[in-house]
Amino acid sequence: MLDFLQAVSDGVLFGATYALIGIGFTLVFGVMHKLNLSYAAASIGGAYCGLLILQAFAGAPPWAVFLLAFVGGGVIGWLVYLTCFHFIPLANPLSTLMSTVGMLLLIDEIIVHTTAGMPQNYPAMFDDVMLRYGEFSMRGDLLLVFGVSVLGMIALLLLLYRTRLGLATRAVSQQPVAAQLCGIRLMRVNALTFIVTGLLGGLAGAMIGASVGALSPLLTTPLTVKGLIVTVVGGLGSIPGAIVAGLLVGGFENVFQLYRGVTERDLYVMLLLFVFLVFRPGGLFAVKGGRD
Amino acid sequence: MKKLAVTLTAAVATAFAAGTMLASGGALAQDKTIKIAGFGAKSGVVRSFGVNSEAALLAAADVINKKGGVKLADGSKAKIAVEFYDDRCNAEEGISVIRRIAGTDAVVAIGPTCSNVAEPLFGILQKKVGDASDSGLQFPVFTDVAIKVGLAKISDWAFRNVPNEMTMYNSLFYWLKTTHPQVKSIYGGVEEDFAHSRATWYVVMKTRAEASGFAVQGESKWLLNDTNFATQVREMKKANADVIAISAHPFTTCGVLKEMQRQGVKPKVLVGLTSSSSLETLQGCAKQAEGMIIPTSFAPVNKEAKYAAETTAKFKGAADLHSMAAWENVFILKNVIEDAKISGKPADVQADRRKIRDALAKVKATEGLLGTTKRDEEGEADKPYLFVHARKGEWKVLHNPL
Repeated sequence: MLDFLQAVSDGVLFGATYALIGIGFTLVFGVMHKLNLSYAAASIGGAYCGLLILQAFAGAPPWAVFLLAFVGGGVIGWLVYLTCFHFIPLANPLSTLMSTVGMLLLIDEIIVHTTAGMPQNYPAMFDDVMLRYGEFSMRGDLLLVFGVSVLGMIALLLLLYRTRLGLATRAVSQQPVAAQLCGIRLMRVNALTFIVTGLLGGLAGAMIGASVGALSPLLTTPLTVKGLIVTVVGGLGSIPGAIVAGLLVGGFENVFQLYRGVTERDLYVMLLLFVFLVFRPGGLFAVKGGRD
Repeated sequence: MKKLAVTLTAAVATAFAAGTMLASGGALAQDKTIKIAGFGAKSGVVRSFGVNSEAALLAAADVINKKGGVKLADGSKAKIAVEFYDDRCNAEEGISVIRRIAGTDAVVAIGPTCSNVAEPLFGILQKKVGDASDSGLQFPVFTDVAIKVGLAKISDWAFRNVPNEMTMYNSLFYWLKTTHPQVKSIYGGVEEDFAHSRATWYVVMKTRAEASGFAVQGESKWLLNDTNFATQVREMKKANADVIAISAHPFTTCGVLKEMQRQGVKPKVLVGLTSSSSLETLQGCAKQAEGMIIPTSFAPVNKEAKYAAETTAKFKGAADLHSMAAWENVFILKNVIEDAKISGKPADVQADRRKIRDALAKVKATEGLLGTTKRDEEGEADKPYLFVHARKGEWKVLHNPL
C-alpha cells in the first residue's frame, strides 16, 4: 500500500511539470482554436535563454535564471506567433500545425547546436529538501513546482476574468468576428496570448529544469507528447482541466510503472488518451462554445 | 634576326608552359588526397559522441597531414581528407549513409556511434570476402564507438577498435571482490531502450558480477528520455545492495544519481557504464558521481594520450574512450594504407578498398594511446584498459590491472 501511495505521490508531484506545459497548449487552443506544437520546445528554449544569459554574465545570482527564463519565454512566444501564425493563413488548420512542428524542430536544433547536445546543469531550488513521514517522502522541489503551477493557474484566471485583456481574449475566443466589430484588435489579442503563454512557458521550462537538475534537448519531445495528452484529457481550452489532467497523468504514469514496468508505462498512458478520446472526447472539463 | 627573335620567343613560351605544367603537376601531386569517411550520431540523443569522434578524426588527420600525409604505392604522398556524415543513431539512416559513402571516392569509413546502427549496417556488407554470390556492399568499415559485444563477425568487411567490455567488467568485478571482500551483493540500474546499455547490463555486468561471486539482487529499469527516477531509486533502496551498477548514458545516469542523493541511497561501491566515463557526466553531476568506478580504454595518463586529448580539444571535441578510438583508427589506417600500397587513383577506388580490407584483416596488433591492442580474427580489438573513478570533478586513474 505504501508503495502505491508513494508512486501516486511521486507521479502527481512530477505531473505538475506536465500541467505547466498543458496550460500553455490549452490557452492557445482556447483563444485561437489552434495547436501550438512548438510550445514545450519554446518553454525549454526560454529556460535555456535564462541559463545562457546567466553563463555569459558570471556572478549573477542563481534566481536571475528564473527571471530571465520568464522573459526569454515571452520573447520566444512572440517570435513563434510571428513566424507560425501571423503571416500564415489561419483558415487552413494544417498550415499552422505544420509550421509549429517546424518550429519545434528548429528550436530543438538551435538548442543542440548552441550546446553541442550536452545537458546543461540547471540551478535547483529546494533540491535537497525531502519531507519525510516515516517511510513516506515528498520532494521539496516538486512541491515548489506544484505550487508554482497552481499560482500560474490562479494568475491566468485572474488575467482572463479580471482584466480588459482577459475580457478581450475571452471575446476573441468565443466570437472573433463579433469581437472585431466591437473594436477588439484580433491580431493584437492573439499576439498577447502568445506572449502570456510564452512567459508562463519560460517559467515552466525553468521549473522543469530545476526539478530535473539539467536542461537537455531530450526534454522537448516527451514534454510535447505529455503536454498534448494533458490538454486532451483535461479538455481542450480548459485551464483547470490542464492542471488536474497534468497531475492525473503523472500519477497514472507512475502507478503503471510500478505495476507493469517502465517498458509498458507509456503504452498505458496512451491507452488512457484513447479512452478519453472515445468515451469523453471533450476531456474532464469540456469547454462549451467556440468561435464562429 | 627576326627569325631568331621568333624562335627565342617560342622557346621562352614553351619553357614557361612546360614550367607551368610541371609546377601544376607538382601541385597536383601535393594536393593528392585519400578520403576517409567518418559517420555517427551528430544529432539526436547521443550527438556528443559524433561531435567528439569528428573532432578526433579531424585532429588526427591534421597531425598526419602536417607530417606530410600518407605514402601511396607510387611513393608519392597524399593528404588525408576526412568527411563526416550524420546517421542520427538511426539504423535506416546509417545504412543510407554507408551506401552514400560507398558512392564517393572514400576508401574506408570510421563509424558508427550506435550499436543499433552497427548491427544492421554490418549486415548489408558482403559477409564473406570474395564470395561472388553475395552482392553485399564491399566497403571496409572500421568502427570506433559502437561497443556491443561481438558485432565484427557479421562481415569480413567490418573491423572494430572498441574496448572489450566483457574483459573489462570481468576484471573490474574480480578486482572489487579481491580488494573489497566485505562487498557481496549487487543491484543494477539499466537504460532499457538503448542497445548498448541494455546489453552491457544483461550480458556483461550481470554475468561477470555473478562469475566473481556477487549476489545479483535484481535491476531497476528506465528509458533514455526519462526524467523522473523516484520509483526506480526506491527499488534500489529496498534492495540495499553493496554495489550499485548503473548501465546508462550520462543524461539518465546523472538523473538517477541525483535521485539517489535525495533518497539517501549510498552504496558501498558505485559502478558505471564505460560510455559514462566522459566529460558529460562530470558536467552534469560531478558531486553525485563522486567515487563512481568505470573501466575505460582511455585516460590522459601518458604523453601521447595527453597530446591526443589536447589536439582534439583544438577541434572542439572532448577526449574519452570513444573519441580516442577514432583518433587511433586514423593512425592505424595510415599504417594500413601504406602497407596495402594503394594507388589513391579514382579509377582504382574499389581495388584500394579491397587492399585496405585485406591489410586490416592481417593486422594482429596495433599501437594505441594506452599501449598495444591485440586484434583477433573476427576483426575485434582487445584494448588495454584501466579503472577510473570520479574525484573532485575529474576522472582519476584508480587502478591499472594490466
